[in-house]
Amino acid sequence: MIATAFIASSLVPMETEEAQIARGLRRRDPELLDALIEQYQHRLLRYLVHLTGNRAVAEDLFQEVWIRVLEKGHLYDGRNRFVTWLMSIGHNVAIDYLRKRCPESLDEMRDPDEGAPFEPPAHGPSPYDEAAAHQQQERFNEALQQVPALFREVLVLRFQEQMKLEEIAKLIHIPLATVKTRIYRGVQALRPLIKGAAQ
Amino acid sequence: MTNHDHERAVDLIMQRGTEDVVAADLRWLESHLEDCADCAQFASDFDNAGRLLRATAITATPTLVAATQARVRARAMYLAEQRSRMVLIAISFCLGAMSSAVSAFLWWRFGSWVAERFGWSAAIVQPGIMLALLLPALVIAGLMLAFPHPVLEERFITAWARERGGDNQ
Repeated sequence: MIATAFIASSLVPMETEEAQIARGLRRRDPELLDALIEQYQHRLLRYLVHLTGNRAVAEDLFQEVWIRVLEKGHLYDGRNRFVTWLMSIGHNVAIDYLRKRCPESLDEMRDPDEGAPFEPPAHGPSPYDEAAAHQQQERFNEALQQVPALFREVLVLRFQEQMKLEEIAKLIHIPLATVKTRIYRGVQALRPLIKGAAQ
Repeated sequence: MTNHDHERAVDLIMQRGTEDVVAADLRWLESHLEDCADCAQFASDFDNAGRLLRATAITATPTLVAATQARVRARAMYLAEQRSRMVLIAISFCLGAMSSAVSAFLWWRFGSWVAERFGWSAAIVQPGIMLALLLPALVIAGLMLAFPHPVLEERFITAWARERGGDNQ
């Protein structure tokens, strides 16, 4: 919403937010970029962490993505949602990285020492509940890393980013049917985990 | 119940919540889920997977955000500098081209004057003067072609390949 506030205060009011972002990116407006980084920081990092399975790598890629947003900003036409375009850049940067690191399989890119790459959730009314939730979260995170990256990616986009199936297809450059198949298989792969969480 | 019904149910399960699903389709889905255990199981797994995924808390640290903003700003400054340098190069090139054209015209007229003054053939003097002017550049170009500088060439090719690689990404 910071970017929205920035845009509302500085640009033509009749334009859509996306068009204003596109205009700002063409100008390489540093204020706008700062605001966008603030606004989309958590969503982008979450996506990259899930895609790579490694927080340190995801943080490096996070910076790379924003550098690419700066350099390729003129390519964003403002017709699609900015977040979709941003995530597609994140996807490309991550895939480039994964290909370079392990061309044989994107799913092999996992550091075994990185047992719990995610931060624990900050909820739970009592220390016991908090510890239990933490443990469950860690188990979930570890188990999630066992799900192939291809499935993990679509699950994150669908559930955390609340993206439409068509948006996901456009973002990852795959057919809609493939998106559905991957979500279906991803949910199936998570089933043991879901059962574990329910117990 | 056909395969088509199951496929439709799975599609609707995936769409509801984020996409506009018609009320009639939702009613159909509910009735289908009451009758089909497999689809009901998938719907339950789907909702639970969503709940679990949304519960994972991953946040960017202020340090990361600040470092990214600083890096982006530095890169933006570099690109702006590069752009202004390119503008200067373009202006210099245009001015150079214009002055070369004016010089060539004046040297041509000078050749005509010399030919007239000394009674020589203008058809020889004028091209001769132009050739004399161009000769140093032609000699240098010939020498560079005959003896290419390997280091320079390698650097040029590397830079070109990197640029092409960047474009393709």
